[in-house]
Amino acid sequence: MTTNRISGATLSLFSVWVIWESRKLPLGTFHNPGPAFMPVLLASLLLVFGILITVTGGSAERFHTLQWKELPHAAVIVVACICSALALERLGYRITIFLILFVLVKFVEKRAWLGATLFALALSFGSFYLFYTLLRVPLPLGPWGI
Amino acid sequence: MLETLQNLYVGFSVALAPTVFLYAVIGCVIGTLVGVLPGIGPLAGISLLLPASFGMDATSAIVLLAGIYYGAMYGGSTTSILMRIPGEAASVMTCIDGYAMTRNGRAGPALAIAAVGSYIAGTVSVVALMLLAPPLANFALRFGPPEYFALLTLGLLALAYMSGGSIVKSLAMAALGLLLGMIGIDPMTGFFRFSYGLVELGDGIGVVPVAVGLFGLSEILLTAGQEKPPEVIKPKLADLLPSREEWRDSTWPIARGTVLGFLIGIVPGSAHIIASFVSYAVERRVSKHPERFGHGAIAGVAGPESANNSATSGAFVPMLALGVPSGPIPAVMLAALMVHGISPGPLLIQQQPKLFWGFIASMYVGNVVLLILNLPLVGLFVNILRVPYSLLYPAILVFCVLGVYAVNGSVVDVWIMIVMGALGYALRKFDFETAPVVLGVVLAPMLEMSFRQSLAMSSGSYAIFFQRPIAVSMLAGGAALLLLSLLPILTKSMDWRRALGLDEKSD
Amino acid sequence: MKRITLIVLCVCVFLGAPLRLPAQETFPSRPITIVVPFPPGGVADLTARPVAAAMEKIIKQPVVVVNKTGAAGAVGMSFVANSKPDGYNLLMALSSISIIPEADKLFDRQPAYTMDQLVPLALISADPTILVVGADHPWKSVKDFVADAKKRPGEISYSSSGVYGTLHMAMELLSHAAGIKLKHVPYGGAGPALTAVLGGHQDALASGPAVVIPHIKGGKLRPLAGWGAKRVASLPDVATFKELGYDAEFYIWAGMFAPRGTPEPLLQKLRNVLRETVQQAEFKDAMAKMETPIAYMDAPEFQKFWDKDAKVLAEAIKRIGRIEEPK
Repeated sequence: MTTNRISGATLSLFSVWVIWESRKLPLGTFHNPGPAFMPVLLASLLLVFGILITVTGGSAERFHTLQWKELPHAAVIVVACICSALALERLGYRITIFLILFVLVKFVEKRAWLGATLFALALSFGSFYLFYTLLRVPLPLGPWGI
Repeated sequence: MLETLQNLYVGFSVALAPTVFLYAVIGCVIGTLVGVLPGIGPLAGISLLLPASFGMDATSAIVLLAGIYYGAMYGGSTTSILMRIPGEAASVMTCIDGYAMTRNGRAGPALAIAAVGSYIAGTVSVVALMLLAPPLANFALRFGPPEYFALLTLGLLALAYMSGGSIVKSLAMAALGLLLGMIGIDPMTGFFRFSYGLVELGDGIGVVPVAVGLFGLSEILLTAGQEKPPEVIKPKLADLLPSREEWRDSTWPIARGTVLGFLIGIVPGSAHIIASFVSYAVERRVSKHPERFGHGAIAGVAGPESANNSATSGAFVPMLALGVPSGPIPAVMLAALMVHGISPGPLLIQQQPKLFWGFIASMYVGNVVLLILNLPLVGLFVNILRVPYSLLYPAILVFCVLGVYAVNGSVVDVWIMIVMGALGYALRKFDFETAPVVLGVVLAPMLEMSFRQSLAMSSGSYAIFFQRPIAVSMLAGGAALLLLSLLPILTKSMDWRRALGLDEKSD
Repeated sequence: MKRITLIVLCVCVFLGAPLRLPAQETFPSRPITIVVPFPPGGVADLTARPVAAAMEKIIKQPVVVVNKTGAAGAVGMSFVANSKPDGYNLLMALSSISIIPEADKLFDRQPAYTMDQLVPLALISADPTILVVGADHPWKSVKDFVADAKKRPGEISYSSSGVYGTLHMAMELLSHAAGIKLKHVPYGGAGPALTAVLGGHQDALASGPAVVIPHIKGGKLRPLAGWGAKRVASLPDVATFKELGYDAEFYIWAGMFAPRGTPEPLLQKLRNVLRETVQQAEFKDAMAKMETPIAYMDAPEFQKFWDKDAKVLAEAIKRIGRIEEPK
């Protein structure tokens, strides 16, 4: 399998799914396009392009030659982002950001305890002060107003 | 002419009065800060600080807000160039070549050219605003749904020049982006589309989380885990300033970007993003070295950055001349005027000459302030690159979350950013470009709306696109461009056939 | 990582808990938030800011205005409807508060919120909409307009802030009362809708008076009539539809709400604060600058007004029904 075959097929499947999902919405007519008109039109275009990519993709890079060395690291970062999204409005901006930074710098990047703590503290509270206090950007406060 | 100069003299006496001048400077500083933060662009910046302006007098308030507006436009390029994170939506195109320049060790020149280009574009477009506002404003009002549709179609053509890779792949990405832009309440019928019970998706997915996710987050995901951390680039003083050749290569892109941006900017709607896309496409089209684009072509920074700044002034044309809220940002500024008891309308210039001319003069002043502010900052910003990546990327991540959250105060936007980051990572692994997706998300809602509004106006007749002079001439121009861009493909495929024929013969 | 999170959490709980208890005794003891479900610069926002400023002086606590936008206001309204009923989360809503649940019903959607999740505190302002047409059109009066619309049904067009939006509703009430059929072209907000009429792309618009008065004075727009029970003070020559014999009454109003379940003493206190608020000179001054007359009503009266308004709008939405295709 080549990379283009895989991605082309995925895009085609996605567009078929979009067309299937659009069945709930009225399509309208050519002269009176309804809410499903543009999505179906665009998904059909995507389907055409997806098939084209799949068909002409025989000469592209082989899938197994792709390097995935950074994937574990990337996955950790995505998990950290997910945690921050979950925590942001529950723990408040400062605690969330402090924890995320601390975990990333200390455990993922393996830096020293003191350095990681100071870095996380400075950045979480510093950015909060600059944007919340000075620029009045509304940021979520956690319990106890932290 | 003499009258204009007299008025301008009055304007400068207003703008250089200590308090007003101070507010212009404060506005520029805040705007730069807000613009540097990923995600928060001029609209969010102005909206957040609008309440703070209620306590001031009208002139100071509008000068402060305008300062934030163009300050954010200047600042938006910084993170795009240094970290590939669009500081605001209009800087998406700057990410491509600006970041490539940073990787080549030319971050300083890219930032300097962006600042100088913005300055020239800002100043020239204020002159145009001052001299041409009333006639241009009436022209801008003639842009109804069919004209807008034609303009957006023209914008879509920018796609053909946006990526160096396979054209089918970029078309697929644009279609994907346009599809993503379909999420949300259908503006013409009220149906919820693809929202799966999430009320927050009602207004669709925003450009900001998509752009920050696809560009910024995906870059972090690709880079942070590499076995060898990216080299810390230690900029030398001599590398901070553009070389003679870089200056020369930027001159025309800045000039073209300025004119293009201003013209697109006066059209009601959020046109400054389109201005930067179109400018990038034009630069690539006319360049003698189109192959350099995507790998650090200075023209790819100079053009779009100038275009989005002059579009800023262009957007003020209908607002000041006619009191028309010609886009989301002018609408907020008009509200700021209403709070002060000034009714913005067609008589604004006559009734409030001090406000109008003070505003114009403060824009000249503001652009100078921003240039003075931004050029020394180039040295400072470039030094951010000295920070080891293992500390830099967590910090960038935090600012992405902060910026994306702050735009609407919505965690759903943060989720969208994360999903888009993962998607961008996968797409780039599979050798797809992400800029067309962003273009699609930007254009989709406006394109669909203007298309269906036009048909509603004509009761379903497509003739409406060919009966209105502005619309038809733009569509014709677009068709001509399309043919021009297809020409090389056709000749190339002929070459290919010939080559194949030769191969067959040799077999 | 989990353990560290836990430790940090525990530390926070122990540090924070004792600080919190005594603060509950008097209301309000911490900043109050007014949620505006629309972007800054809109009617709701521009009403909420002076209200907040005046309230601060009375309760001696900060009052923060937060814009929570999205889905035509549904995001912010459902946020307050589902927030803790402790009196610290209030809502500044517009007439559209009654429209969204009805539209949800129409499309068989899970409603974002229901109207009985919110209790009214006070009505702040109620501006009748005004019917304006481009000045180069021949219609000089409602009579001309209606007569022409009857002659060419579905050909005279109007722009609105969005489908099922307030400006759409106003026109629907008029069309129903006058028995005419107009062509509706929705736009993405009141600003673009106004621009479309000024540019001559659409013929008519229902709009709040403050926005269109400068254009009327500048000679670009012509007012035909207003939807109010009384004439608008700044446009004394413009008749109302009621006077002309059309049963169409519509206001873009702005009122304060609290989530249902807020304790009665707190509601009482908030109502008193709001009554005092609208009498502050500073507040009156701010509203006068925006040419928005104050139309204060206390909760019981406001509830009656709201019920009646919601009923009219619900009927209108049922009449419009689902728009499968642009008419």
